[in-house]
Amino acid sequence: MTALSKHQDVRAASRDLRLRTLSLMPHPLDRLIYLASTRDYNTGLYHHDGLASRFSDEVACEALADCHREAFHHLLTSSLEDIVRQLEAYVEVSRTEPVEFIAAWRGLKPYQVAVPAQTDPLTAEFLFSNLRVALAILESRFRRSQLAAPGASPLRSPGQ
Amino acid sequence: MTSLIIFCAIGAGLFLLLLLAMVRRPSRPEGSADALLGARHALRTLQVSLLPAEVVERFLARDDLDYVLAAAPLSIQQLFLQERKRILLAWITQVRQQITSLQDFHFGHSRHFVQMSLTTEIGLAWEFAVLRMECRALYLLVVLRGPYGAPLIAGKMAGTAARLCSISEESLAFLAPAEGRAIPDDSARGDAHV
Repeated sequence: MTALSKHQDVRAASRDLRLRTLSLMPHPLDRLIYLASTRDYNTGLYHHDGLASRFSDEVACEALADCHREAFHHLLTSSLEDIVRQLEAYVEVSRTEPVEFIAAWRGLKPYQVAVPAQTDPLTAEFLFSNLRVALAILESRFRRSQLAAPGASPLRSPGQ
Repeated sequence: MTSLIIFCAIGAGLFLLLLLAMVRRPSRPEGSADALLGARHALRTLQVSLLPAEVVERFLARDDLDYVLAAAPLSIQQLFLQERKRILLAWITQVRQQITSLQDFHFGHSRHFVQMSLTTEIGLAWEFAVLRMECRALYLLVVLRGPYGAPLIAGKMAGTAARLCSISEESLAFLAPAEGRAIPDDSARGDAHV
């Protein structure tokens, strides 16, 4: 396989991945966590059975890595308000109790292993910092809504 | 009297040139390859990680501050300001480090690889000096006035750094064929530079 044809395959695989899978995830945060979960922690390689069967393991791996970098970049350039919104939506989709979610994300910091390989440490740290502040905002909002109405749905922003 | 002034002016000019020639570090070929790779790495770090317009804009984004002031209690406002200050100071430090690495290459080794006129070298030295001054001023202002204390200087510093990067890129352009031609990518990475 020549470099050019491989590059074309990777682009086709990325398109396929965006169309079939990533389009179902509206937010960069969802996509970042999902794509990080397709990466093997021991080898750093990405795996996706469907994509690998249509293309090849190598092409699927590169397409997943490309989409991972893209999701990271989109999240990195999101405003803090947007990150809070994305985090809020992620809590709802994950069907976890907000208190448990916030405690787990504070303690385990799962986002720290979700960044693509070879990300610049400063840009990664900027994202972590934004997520820490977003978690704090979410928690204060949750506590406020709990105080206002103990039985109400906890994570609704004023605009929703 | 007039001729004395002219001779003095010529003398002063020659003296300045002599000083400039002495200030220029002696250039030795050994270690030049390492310096070249270091400069290439510094340039790439600046262009890809530290200076893309979207990233710099986010570091300095005023809308984040407005949002936190409107939507978060005082303790979170303080947390946010501390975090941004920490990030901004780290960013300034890294830009300064990478720029120093580029400067060392330009004034120590670049003449082994590229022909640069004296005017260009003086212009470049001026740009480097201005940038290092801007870095110091910005660092001090962020320490004293917080992360949103000097948005204009921050923008100016990013602009000067980007200008120096493009000059350095031209002088390191001869490396491009050895690295292989980049295949055009139409994915939405958005690696725009300031």
